[in-house]
Amino acid sequence: MKRFLRHPFLWMFLFFLIMPYLMPLIKGYTALASEILIYAMFALGFNLLLSYTGLASFGHAAFFGIGAYAMALTQLKWSENLWLGLLMGMVSAGVFSGIVGALICRKRGIYLSLLTLAFSQMFFLVAFRWDEVTGGETGLTGLTRPPLALPGLPAVSLKGPMAFYFFTLAVFMIVMILIWRLVHSPFGSVLQSIKQNEMRAKYVGYNTAFYKWMSFTISGVVSGLAGAMFLLQHGAVFPTYMNWTESGNVVMVTIMGGGLINFFGPILGGGIFVILQNAIGAFTEHWLLILGMIFIAIIMLIPEGILGLLKRTKASA
Amino acid sequence: MPSAIDFLSQGINGIVLGLLLSTIAIGFTLMLGVVGVINFAHGVLFALGAYFALTMRNTLGFWAALVISPLMVGLVGIIIERLAVRRMYGKDALFCLLLTFGIAMSVEELIRMIWGKLGHSMAAPLLFSGSIDLGFMLYSKYRLLLAVICGLILFLVWIFLEKTSYGAIVKAGAQDSEMVAVLGNNINRLRTFVFGFGSALAGIAGVIAGPLWTVRPGMGNDAIMPAFVIVVLGGIGSFWGTLIGGLAVGLSVSLAVMFFPRMSDLVMYILAAAVLLFWPRGIMGEKSLLEE
Repeated sequence: MKRFLRHPFLWMFLFFLIMPYLMPLIKGYTALASEILIYAMFALGFNLLLSYTGLASFGHAAFFGIGAYAMALTQLKWSENLWLGLLMGMVSAGVFSGIVGALICRKRGIYLSLLTLAFSQMFFLVAFRWDEVTGGETGLTGLTRPPLALPGLPAVSLKGPMAFYFFTLAVFMIVMILIWRLVHSPFGSVLQSIKQNEMRAKYVGYNTAFYKWMSFTISGVVSGLAGAMFLLQHGAVFPTYMNWTESGNVVMVTIMGGGLINFFGPILGGGIFVILQNAIGAFTEHWLLILGMIFIAIIMLIPEGILGLLKRTKASA
Repeated sequence: MPSAIDFLSQGINGIVLGLLLSTIAIGFTLMLGVVGVINFAHGVLFALGAYFALTMRNTLGFWAALVISPLMVGLVGIIIERLAVRRMYGKDALFCLLLTFGIAMSVEELIRMIWGKLGHSMAAPLLFSGSIDLGFMLYSKYRLLLAVICGLILFLVWIFLEKTSYGAIVKAGAQDSEMVAVLGNNINRLRTFVFGFGSALAGIAGVIAGPLWTVRPGMGNDAIMPAFVIVVLGGIGSFWGTLIGGLAVGLSVSLAVMFFPRMSDLVMYILAAAVLLFWPRGIMGEKSLLEE
């Protein structure tokens, strides 16, 4: 019982339960709270790759975007079922990240970053130009938020921001617990050994390329799910979701929160990013300048991220 | 089916574009090789070159801008290296990459604040506006001038790398900068120099691309993506790899326009992916410390 009470998940869950009610304090609104969780989910999935496997992908926005487009197209061409849409978002992102992962899983370092960037740009251009399917530059808009239907229970509408927030929270908690279990499993240990010394992991007998491929694909699936949730949130998808700057943002957000040091870093980083974007965007249209300068300051002053800094000050105190 | 003349004119366009892209990528690949930085700010340095020239165009003229603007961009590059990038040496390459990402983001927005959101057209020098009759077709004089200038710059870079002693150090630095330092060269000065030199090359490319592409805040993105692809194609830090990669990208994009006009720029990414499956380090790439 005591262990349960001390578990960070419990406290985080309690905090997230009241988060939408705290939003007015920072001039936010309920939808902003959902957006925080969705972005945190994206960053958490990305961090599996960055901090646990040591692969700096610079193209993860592509899988986020693919998830969103898959959800939109499922609604438009097939069915408005919520679960089917989310499933298609994950499967499509998984298929494409699986293909890209297979092509790059023997690479590392700068080549991996360059290649993931090139592939994501390919997906971006297809979304941007293939008007018939993706709507081209104007994207796909006017999509609905289907009701939540569970077998044996009456369907619940997700149209209201609070209802959607709590649905997002449920999805987020499930994803977080699964990723937590994954990184603390033997599979997770192999990933971390690859990060520390791939050659050694290989000589011990692990098929490191396979493990890298697995972690790439899994993080792609999580990104796709986040993208599909983002579509539900906004009811629209645009090619700019897949832009390389978005891929850079998720890397930055993960580092900013302290993802390299702490499992929960990406969640903190995602929250700060979404709130900052909203807060700075409210008083100047040049918010990218300020965001860029914050990024520069973080990298130069606290490259280990906010949670890493807390650990450093705690250790020295 | 496109006619032979179409092929020829698109082929010439491809070579012109390829030379321009090689000029953009050569600075980028030297920085990557010697300094070990994927410089995301290369695109905004390119854009700055164009904007500085745009500002000088009407007072000092195109030719003065062609000289002064790259020097100013080179100075901006040196300042960036001295103030920020320098502190990242010895750390994970990821941090430097994110640092330049933040710089690119801020500078692009600064450009928007100073020169406005909308694009500006920049006039070509009077002597080279309009087209020339090549006998079988009319061709833009400015594109020919652009090819000549880019060719000249690339030739000068080659002379510098191959025929001067400092160029030899730069070239060696692109392969193994630690060894260059061990041999007694001032590695910090070398890195500052290469960063400034690479920035100036981005600036020159920006000036000459100005009249061809519209001068607009996002123009850096059109420059940096091909630069990434060319480096992947040609191999990090290789002069000939960059030239071959640049021409391959320029030609394939220009020829693809005839067949898939909407998807033409997709071709370069497919090309990069295909090449890497067979040549993991690019066509001319050699084993580099950056893979670790």
